[in-house]
Amino acid sequence: MVQRVWALSLVTCKEGIRDRSLYGIFLFALFVLGLNVAVAGFFMRDLGKVTVDMNLAALSFAGLLLVFFIGINLMAKDIDKKTIHLVLSKPFSRGEYIWGKYFGLLLVVLFAQVIVLLFSCATVACVHAMYPGYFTSFSWPVFFIAAFFIYLQQALLCAIVVFFSSITSTSFITLIFSMASYIVGISLEEVVFYLRTQAATEEVVASATLHHTLEVVTWLVPNFAAFDFKIEAAHGLALEWSRLWTSCGYGVLYICILLVLASLIFKRREFN
Amino acid sequence: MMPQRGKGLWLVVVLLLPFYAYLHMGSWTQRAELRQAPTTSFLVPSQFSRVLACGYKGLLADFQFLRVLTFYGDRSANQQPLSTQDWDYFRDSIDVLTDLDPYFYDPYVLTEGLLTWDAGRFEDANTLLAKGARYRRNDWRLPYFIGFNNFFFLKDYAAGAEHIMAASRLPDSPSYLPTLAARLAYYGGKSQTAVLFLKQMLAENSDERLAKRLQLRLSALERAALIEAALQRFRHEKQRDVENVKELVTAGYVQQLPEDPYGGQWRILPNGRVFSTSKFVQGKKE
Repeated sequence: MVQRVWALSLVTCKEGIRDRSLYGIFLFALFVLGLNVAVAGFFMRDLGKVTVDMNLAALSFAGLLLVFFIGINLMAKDIDKKTIHLVLSKPFSRGEYIWGKYFGLLLVVLFAQVIVLLFSCATVACVHAMYPGYFTSFSWPVFFIAAFFIYLQQALLCAIVVFFSSITSTSFITLIFSMASYIVGISLEEVVFYLRTQAATEEVVASATLHHTLEVVTWLVPNFAAFDFKIEAAHGLALEWSRLWTSCGYGVLYICILLVLASLIFKRREFN
Repeated sequence: MMPQRGKGLWLVVVLLLPFYAYLHMGSWTQRAELRQAPTTSFLVPSQFSRVLACGYKGLLADFQFLRVLTFYGDRSANQQPLSTQDWDYFRDSIDVLTDLDPYFYDPYVLTEGLLTWDAGRFEDANTLLAKGARYRRNDWRLPYFIGFNNFFFLKDYAAGAEHIMAASRLPDSPSYLPTLAARLAYYGGKSQTAVLFLKQMLAENSDERLAKRLQLRLSALERAALIEAALQRFRHEKQRDVENVKELVTAGYVQQLPEDPYGGQWRILPNGRVFSTSKFVQGKKE
């Protein structure tokens, strides 16, 4: 079973890497990193913080573009072009197909993220060499931890893409649902905590229904803010192991549940 | 047929180009005029901008900071003074961007540099700096700025001393802060606070040179506090002020006047406080 999943993952990964859009994403990331070198001098003292902000933003945004535009295409192509009949005629279970596709997507994202991260490290090192006195709080380990959690965030997003691909029949609907999940997931925490503040209860007339609805949404949609360590990396702040483990476990468990559900749904699906 | 159609399309492009050039130049001229008079624009409150940042709060804070810098830079370059509304915008922008990234140090430096010296908004500056101090707990500069504002602008020596004392306890703070804080505390009428603070600093300090300076300042303040206590007893019992500090010796309230370790002469200030002509600074007599 592992061999079959691995074989499908490799095929998916090769297909993803062959996609020309990947070059566009690399160019975008390179542009942001180049911009970083040019813009860093505009700031007064926190040059290290600005550099890390821009680098991690480039890494994260390149990953988002990759998942939304290449990842969704990779998932939907088989169904859109009917090649899924050919794939499923091979000795593959539908569950293995879902897991294989997912790991293939992960490999594509990993490949792209590693390349952008290498450029990113070179940019940080370059700005560091240009302004050595302004990187007092910078820490490489925290920077790499933040980069790892950006990858985990992309992995979670890939699972969402796979889940919606198993339900819907067109890539456009998968794109809309995945983007909506990401936007809700990334802003959910801010909304929930804002509504809990004293100021919000005075300013906003939040009904009990709204609070209950939000409570349900927090259980359904992943809290992407739990994987956001960009501010900590920007200021080289110490990270607690408990926070890292909790975020990591939360992400991995959510991915597993989503993929199991996607396998179950995909098994019952009929293809025309 | 095809080459003729191609020629026709080229002709359309050539005809459109002058119109494009005209509108292009017009648009850039209009933008330049608009930018000559930069106005305060609407600021998205932090509770919304934190949501709208979509996980890029640090980057949005950087962008907002550049906007504030450009706004102030434009006004300075055109020698246009900032109005009350402009300073409100400046303060609110810093507030929003430090809500997005409260660890960002540059906005606090800008606040200390402009909101106090240029705008005279000391309370606003202190509120923003206090926010920074809550997050950057090991950064001595922010409590130091608050202490400086209290001492220099607001003339609140006691509050100034309190914040500079807090700053002096933080890592990498300069060695002159403890003695400065103690002097401010004494100015502010907090003699005992100053003495206790110096004793604590002496106990925690392992640097010999700093210890000497602290010890000197401590003995000066202890002696001044001793004279002040005698002065208070005199006032309480005689119901009048002393004519000069030596009257305390002749009246038997102190056996002899202690020497100022900085080499000055003891004086009684109009507000009743005891001070020295040395101003508790080495080598300064008058």
